[in-house]
Amino acid sequence: MEALVGLLTGFGVIMTPANLYLCFLGSLIGTLVGVLPGVGPLAALALLLPVTFTLSPVGGMVMLASIFYGAMYGGSTTSILLNIPGEAASVVTCIDGHQMAKQGRAGAALGIAAIGSFVAGTLGVIVMTFCAPAIAAVAIRFGPPENFALMVLGVVCTLFMITRSPVKGALMIALGFLTATVGIDVVNGRERFTFGSVDLSAGIELLAVVIGLFGVTEILSNVEATVKSTVVAERIRGLWPTLADWRASWRPMLRGSGLGFFLGLVPGGGPVTASFMSYAVEKRISARPERFGKGAIEGVAGPESANNAAVAGSLIPVLSLGIPGNPVTALLLGALVIQGIQPGPLFITQRPDLFWGIVASMYVGNVFLLLLNLPLVGLWAQLLRIPYRVLFPIVLLLSVVGTYSANKNVFDLWVMLGFGIAGYVLHKLNYDLAPFIIAFVLAPLLEQSLRQSLAMSPHGAMIFIERPATLLMLLCSAGLIALMLRPLPNTKGGRL
Amino acid sequence: MRNPRIAFVFLAISLSALLATPAAAQGDGAKADLAKLKPKDFPTGPIEFTVVYPAGGGMDVTARLLAKHVENWSGDRIVVNNRTGGAGMVGHAYLATQAKPDGYTVGVIANLMWGDAMLRAQNRWAYTDLEPIGYLNSDALTWVGPTEGPYKGMSVRQIVALAKDKPGTIRAATVPGSMWDYILDQVEANTGAKFLRVPFQGGGAGINALAGENVDIAQGFYSEFRGLAEAGKVTPIGVASSERMSFLKDTPTMNEALGGNEYLWNVIRFVVVPKGTPADRKAYLKAAIEAAMKDPELVAEYVKAGVYFDPKLTNAARMEANLNEYAEREREFYQKTGRLK
Amino acid sequence: MGPAGACLAPRTRTKPGDQWFAVTEMFERAVNIFWVLLGAAAASYAWTLGIIGSSGPDSGLFPFVSALMIMGSGLVLLLQPRDAALAPDFPRGAALGRVLGVSGGLAFMAISIPFLGFAVAGFVTMIILLHAVEKSGWVFSVSLAFISVAAVDWLFGRVLGMALPSGPWGW
Repeated sequence: MEALVGLLTGFGVIMTPANLYLCFLGSLIGTLVGVLPGVGPLAALALLLPVTFTLSPVGGMVMLASIFYGAMYGGSTTSILLNIPGEAASVVTCIDGHQMAKQGRAGAALGIAAIGSFVAGTLGVIVMTFCAPAIAAVAIRFGPPENFALMVLGVVCTLFMITRSPVKGALMIALGFLTATVGIDVVNGRERFTFGSVDLSAGIELLAVVIGLFGVTEILSNVEATVKSTVVAERIRGLWPTLADWRASWRPMLRGSGLGFFLGLVPGGGPVTASFMSYAVEKRISARPERFGKGAIEGVAGPESANNAAVAGSLIPVLSLGIPGNPVTALLLGALVIQGIQPGPLFITQRPDLFWGIVASMYVGNVFLLLLNLPLVGLWAQLLRIPYRVLFPIVLLLSVVGTYSANKNVFDLWVMLGFGIAGYVLHKLNYDLAPFIIAFVLAPLLEQSLRQSLAMSPHGAMIFIERPATLLMLLCSAGLIALMLRPLPNTKGGRL
Repeated sequence: MRNPRIAFVFLAISLSALLATPAAAQGDGAKADLAKLKPKDFPTGPIEFTVVYPAGGGMDVTARLLAKHVENWSGDRIVVNNRTGGAGMVGHAYLATQAKPDGYTVGVIANLMWGDAMLRAQNRWAYTDLEPIGYLNSDALTWVGPTEGPYKGMSVRQIVALAKDKPGTIRAATVPGSMWDYILDQVEANTGAKFLRVPFQGGGAGINALAGENVDIAQGFYSEFRGLAEAGKVTPIGVASSERMSFLKDTPTMNEALGGNEYLWNVIRFVVVPKGTPADRKAYLKAAIEAAMKDPELVAEYVKAGVYFDPKLTNAARMEANLNEYAEREREFYQKTGRLK
Repeated sequence: MGPAGACLAPRTRTKPGDQWFAVTEMFERAVNIFWVLLGAAAASYAWTLGIIGSSGPDSGLFPFVSALMIMGSGLVLLLQPRDAALAPDFPRGAALGRVLGVSGGLAFMAISIPFLGFAVAGFVTMIILLHAVEKSGWVFSVSLAFISVAAVDWLFGRVLGMALPSGPWGW
């Protein structure tokens, strides 16, 4: 088969000491970047882009790509151990992952996260190998109405994150939407809620909000309690997932991979959306959903697989069509152009060595990352032994630098602090914080695609019914809402 | 000589060495000239090239290529920094009001800055707060049409006629508040056509939508549609420039297609420093950029991206004056169309 | 129990009849009123942006609907009877001191970075943080602060090549 031939070519290209070294280096940097709170793959890629000038095109692209998906491996580490997400795509892992750590099962959580990431990454690349052009041809037809329907589905999934008062949850979602509108309206260029401030006209930086709302708030909460010596009181029981863990996890891993891959394909999807949609799906499908939020391993296996699969999915439009779906893939395209290579549908035929080299490197990269991350589980678990009074200043210092790295703007540090204090107070008042951040992430694309769809439709809102994919997704959303309102067999009364 | 072939090879080698030496010597000479202009104790650290658009985009690639060559020629360390937000507004405001005019901040920007300065800066800064020190290249806005569907293969004139016959049915991708909108305004005003405008965040997004048959025509720059055009997914149908592009010989200009002379919209990329930068540092940076722009490698890389070099701006002596003339012409356009009082 | 996870521990510190309980009740009511006011203010601002434009929804629609939702939720919360079991557990005394200390340390960092540069601001902030929670020994604090800041500076400044803000001394 053509694809197999291409893949073999790719392996031939990448199995040189130089390229293997670069793949490993990228995986290492990616893991590190994922672990550090605030610094995400975008910042790391932008910083390391000049380095690729001196490398061969294959080497440079392999390194950059491996940083991208490597970051998805590392992101879960601090989420599980410290309840502080490494980046936005790991917020959901905090929920059950940290609970598992507190029950002494940090090793199992970290292990399942790493293995789930590996399974998803590898499955994603396999699908990429054989179906990339066909998938790309379909993906390109995703237009504003489909994006809108997808975002609606995302918002519905957000409702599953509400564990306490539904009124407070709805308020948080609405607040997330409102906060996302601060800045410049992309549809017509007008300033909203900026009050003349240049800093606000850029909008509120997502990273600053995530680090503040989940990092600073967590530290303030922990610091307030009677000073514990370490984060986790219980001794770590065993470093490896048990058989029961495996049995519970393998299906979420597969579901997460599928869902994540699909979401990575569409622009505006991506690892963040994939992670929490997977969480919502797992919670909805589970026979005992009340375990979620208290250390259910499915809540780690699903999202961690989803965010890795989303990376593979997002690379398909880039490599097969030259179309970027998010800022990181846009940067990868820029790197190609700087090297003098023209991305586009002809990329695979004009430079098969480069295309298949990158694809092959993803197989190798995922293996490297698994080999890197599994032994590190033991090392990270030792991190929990450090007295908290020493650990948290270092984490805060890293958070400050990480937040600053996004825009090199001190204003973001104030945003971080502000959201940290607000999050602390709101947490005290029994508000769920996860719905806020998800609404904040989804709002821009939700609004933009709604207005684009209405602008391009000659019949107004009918466009959402005329297009089959859109209609299907909207029906799914309606169905999910209906299911939520119906009482489930194992719980007393309705879900809400 | 026993073997005439050896003699020939020997001659060829020595001739090429002879010819290469002046070129190499010129290279060394230029570097030496540049070093003479370097002010004392500048720079002691990396110089920031500020790009106001996201990493990986056309402007970013232009800036990084420039930075690579300026580093080569001057030996100084250049760091490219993306200050994004508000479609460039945040970065422009930073350069004009917050960046220290000490020579360590250099902006690689485009003429889209004038729109921000005149329409959205709310008197906080003006375009004269940024002093141009080098011209890079220009890119003409191009109308791109589909290769599938009911409008495939149509020319600009045909599509505009259709938009006039059936107003509000032809979906045109646009970027609100910039030249994408302005050219549509002009076409609609002159021909009575009416397009259904679909807003996007950039030209590239609109062209991708065109390839997916979500809009009927799109507008963008060569580097944005080249990949899809070569694969036959979209095709350029009109260029908003005064003459045809050498790499798009078969594509008529908008003026040819619709008549008249006012469909001239392009992106002009140039380098600025904040007003108040010391004169010696400004002169040094100017010379460094000039040296990089003379490098045939950089020129070749730019040409591959489908840019052209505006003869009014390649002359360093007249560049600033001509740029300001373009800016004022844009101000007149805003006043004429009621966007500016 | 962190913010990302569900809150499980029973409330033991505040009881109805407690004076502190009344204070927290007032605070909660104030927050709910804040939501209503915020929603109203945002809605009126969004109204001025325009709700429906020539080609469909205008800039103001989305924020307007969101603001109305906030206002509505705030009203419902104001009118709901209070559940004593879920009374907020605000810190007092030493605990409050710790929280304020950490917040203050971060605020100091944000204020001073532009003037002192990252290295010095970070160093001082680390010391503040180390002392806010537990009075660690001076030698320990200073050395840990120094090592941490140096390591971060090396990692980000040299390895990753990111320029961290420098103070008046050039570093």
